[in-house]
This record gives sequence, C-alpha cells and structure tokens, in this order.
Amino acid sequence: MAASVAMVILLGLSIGPVPISFFHMSPAEREILVDLRLPRVLSAFLVGGGLALAGAIFQGLFRNPLADSYLLGVSSGASLGAAAALVLNLASPLASFAAVSVFAWVGSLGALALVFYFGHRAGSFSILRLLLSGLGVGLFLSSLVAVFMLLAGDELKALIFFFLGGFATSSWDTAWVALACIPAAVCFACFYAADLNVLLLGEETAQTSGVRSGQVQLLYAIVAALLTSISVSVAGLIGFVGLIVPHMIRLISGADHRTLFPLTFLTGGIFLVLSDAVARTVLAPAELPVGIVTSLIGVPIFLYLIRNETGDWV
Amino acid sequence: MAIKSALELQDVCFGYTGGLLLKEVSFAIAPGELIALIGPNGSGKTTLLKIMLGLLRPRSGSVTLHGRPLSDYPPKSRALNLAYVSQQPSSSFPLTVRELVALGRYPHDGRGRLTPAGSLAVTNALHRSAAKHLADRRFNTLSGGEKQKVLIARALAQGAPILLLDEPTLHLDLYYQIQILAALKRLCTEQQSTVVAVLHDVNLVSLFADKALLLRDGVLHSFGPTSDVFNEASISDLLGVDMVAVGGKNSIRCFAPRQPFINSRGN
Repeated sequence: MAASVAMVILLGLSIGPVPISFFHMSPAEREILVDLRLPRVLSAFLVGGGLALAGAIFQGLFRNPLADSYLLGVSSGASLGAAAALVLNLASPLASFAAVSVFAWVGSLGALALVFYFGHRAGSFSILRLLLSGLGVGLFLSSLVAVFMLLAGDELKALIFFFLGGFATSSWDTAWVALACIPAAVCFACFYAADLNVLLLGEETAQTSGVRSGQVQLLYAIVAALLTSISVSVAGLIGFVGLIVPHMIRLISGADHRTLFPLTFLTGGIFLVLSDAVARTVLAPAELPVGIVTSLIGVPIFLYLIRNETGDWV
Repeated sequence: MAIKSALELQDVCFGYTGGLLLKEVSFAIAPGELIALIGPNGSGKTTLLKIMLGLLRPRSGSVTLHGRPLSDYPPKSRALNLAYVSQQPSSSFPLTVRELVALGRYPHDGRGRLTPAGSLAVTNALHRSAAKHLADRRFNTLSGGEKQKVLIARALAQGAPILLLDEPTLHLDLYYQIQILAALKRLCTEQQSTVVAVLHDVNLVSLFADKALLLRDGVLHSFGPTSDVFNEASISDLLGVDMVAVGGKNSIRCFAPRQPFINSRGN
C-alpha cells in the first residue's frame, strides 16, 4: 500500500506541461516541482483521502452504505460557508484561507444538523428519508450559494474559480491547512473505529456494550464535517469519492472500520491523485475540473449499486 | 442463605411527557432464572427492559444492580453485568459472523484486537448458541433464525451474567423458537446466568420459563413461578382472549383459545 502511494505521488509529480527529470533538475525545474506540483499532488492526495474517509464515516454513522458528504448536502453546506466568507469579506487577509475553511466547517456542520433533523425518525434513519433530506438540504443551500454569487460583485471571479474546483490553484497556502487538519482527523477516526463497529448494531446495543454512543456519534459527525469542509475549501465540490472508495474497500477487506478507515483514506488519496492526473492530461493544455472526472466514474457505480445491491438497506 | 437478587426494581414509574407507561413496578430477579416477560402489545415490555438496562431512567423509584444503583455504574462495568439483544437491526454491513460476535468483547478488550481470551469467548459463544457453523459467513446473507442466533452469541460473548432479550423468537419458525429457548435455558442451568426475555407464546413460556412476569397497561399484573402464575383466568385476563387449558403434563400447562371464539370468527 505504501509503495503504491509513493508511486502514484511520483507519477502525479512527473505529469505537467514542463517535462522534469527527477535526477538532473535545474533551479527552475526544482521550483516548479516544489512550489507548484508538490502542493498540488499533496492536496489531491489529502482531499481524496479526506473525502473518502468522510464518506466511510457517514456510512458508519448512518449505518448506510449510500451516505456520502456530497449526497448528504454536507458539501453544499461547506460551499455556503466558504462563499459567505469570501463575499462578505469576513476572511481576514492574514489567514484568509484558514478563515474560509473555518466558515466552510461551520456551514457543513449546519447542513449536517439539518439532515440529522429531517432524516431522523424514532431513532432510525431510513435511506429514503436520509437521501431525500440530504438532497433537499443540498439544493436549498446551493440556491443560497447562487444568491451569494449574484451579490458577489468584485468577488464573483474568485467565487467561480473556487467552485469550479480542482487543484489548478493549489499552492502551499492551501495545502498547509489540509496538511494540518486532515492527518489529525484520520488519526481520530482510526482511534475510535472499534466504537463505530459496535454502533453498526444500533445505538441501544452499542450503549449496552459500554460504548458512549452519543459522544462517539457527535465527535465523528464533527470530524466528518471537518474533512468535508477542508476538502471543499481546498478543491471545491468533488462528488462520489466518498461513495466509491469505501464501497470498493468493503468488498475487498470487509466492514471492520479498523481496517476500512486507513485503507479508505490511502485509496481515496490515490484515486484523486490519479483523477487529477487524468483531468490534467486528457484535454491538455486545457484542464478538466477534477470533479467531472470523479462524477463520470462515480455516477455509474452509484447507479449500479442502487440497481444491484441485494442488501436490505435500499 | 437467602438467594441474593441480581437486579431489583423498586416502585419504578416511567413516562416520557404525558401519562405513565410504567406504574410502580417492583420485582427482583435472582441468578439462574429464565424469566419470561409477557403482556399485550403496548403494555410496556420493551420500556421495562430498557429501564432494566439503564437505557431509560425511571421517573421515580429505583433500579439496583447487586445492591448499587444502576445509574452509578459507568457504561463499561454496566456492560460487564448486563447484555442486551434488541429486536433485529434493520440494516447490516457485510461483517462476518465471527467479527460481529467479537463486537461483544468491547467492554473487555476495548478498542484493540481480540485477546486470546476474547477469541476463546467468541468461539464458546458461537458454540453455545449453536451458530459455530456460521462463523465465516457474512451476517447480511443469513436467514432470520440464523441472524437471531448470531445476535444472541454476540450478547453471550459479552460475558454478562444477566441477559435481556426483546422478542428473541420474533419472525422465527417453531424449530428456531425452540432452539433458541433451549439455548437460553441451558445458559441458566449451566452458567447460572439470569435471562429475561420478552415472549408472546404462552405455551413456549410454560415449557421453558422458570418464572413469568405478566405486564398489562404498565402495571405488574403478577410475577412468580410460571406454574403458579399461569392459569385460565390470568392468561385470559392478560391476553384479552378467552383461553382454556388443554392438557399438558406435571406442572406444564398448555392453553388454547376457547372454541366458540374460533367459530364466531370462522362463520
């Protein structure tokens, strides 16, 4: 696994308009590699891993393999928070990107609270109610984002750039936030994985097994929202990574979160670095937004899952 | 020496906002007993079970475990004393049976991997609930009866001396109902465990339960050895169906709805 991560990162680093030989680098080439490509590949890896892990967490929390930050509207909440910060100029120039991330986090937590409220009845989440709530909340918040765009004036260009997504604008300014937050969230998620395993049997069974289920659920919700909002802040809206990757890993290694979480994070990272490589090369010199690549791969898999899943959760 | 009660309820009242769902319920259960909790739908059986587990707190009255208030126990030590089998969870991820049963070891082994002792407990639990042959199957591919056996095995792996089950025979055919009740009975006689199970079939209760706890409209109707508590009058009164004793040997009585009742519906 570690070897494939290293290989994919090297591949990501080697792709670009300027061919670079890793062995005889000129200072200019070194600058391209360190200041442009490295933060881009690193961001793609962390965002991919973060989105995949957020999906796996939501699926465990809602005991449903169709949950994902994008489908639950949590990404839209993060966009709204980020848009509000950009348009209202709330982000102080000193740490503007960090401020945008904080607003995105607040937005995603708000969206999650709404989905919880509407998707929950008598202690359980039916997949239909959950996905419809997510759809409704997501559409509503996206409409608010559109309103912000109309109000944006001078910031409109920045906003459009922001929501087109992708890693074309990645720099160390954005990568460091991801680097600071996402690994910490991954450690947290892996540490409490056994608790989430017990929660798969329902809240009451978990409580009677000694799990502090309310606390664990709340902490995971906060962490999954954090992963989503950092990802949205760095790379805009990228769908379906959180759906495809955990599902693939579950097929291979089973549903135990203690192995599912780390494998999902690493595979999600690899998946998005590769998707970004595709996005950069298919129409070169133009770039495809990476969200289009993940959706083109993800939507057919999502539809396949709905059509063919024999489990009792659809 | 008097048999020490394991779990005791004293004047327990419970309600969410409006009226009371449980009214002044008092009883004590001792080790080694299989107790059937029976009553019509909506009589408060599941609520009572949740009070006994500490999932719900009584509005008034007390619940004590080994003489100490249940609410004083931290979650893990409560889990070491009381295990719960809820009605079947609706969604299920592709955990293998062994992985699922191993979840019962959480209060012992915490977040780490299973210890050798934990692994042994899992194997024993699978054996005792007659689910050993299912160990490597995925839980979500099992039949209803197999799932129930596995869920009971998970609770057994928890190693708690008191086991509470909410309708463990729901949706099962007679063969599985008897298999499960026999396994629970063995647990009481061989391990001195206490089992409280919500059950509906009065005849299976007659066959397997040491004691019956009859609940109606949130009030404890009667509690005692099944052979004492069960008679035509008490059963008819409890179920709201005119029942007649139709035979049975020794202290075991069987009951059936009185014939005209059947006829009046048949015609």
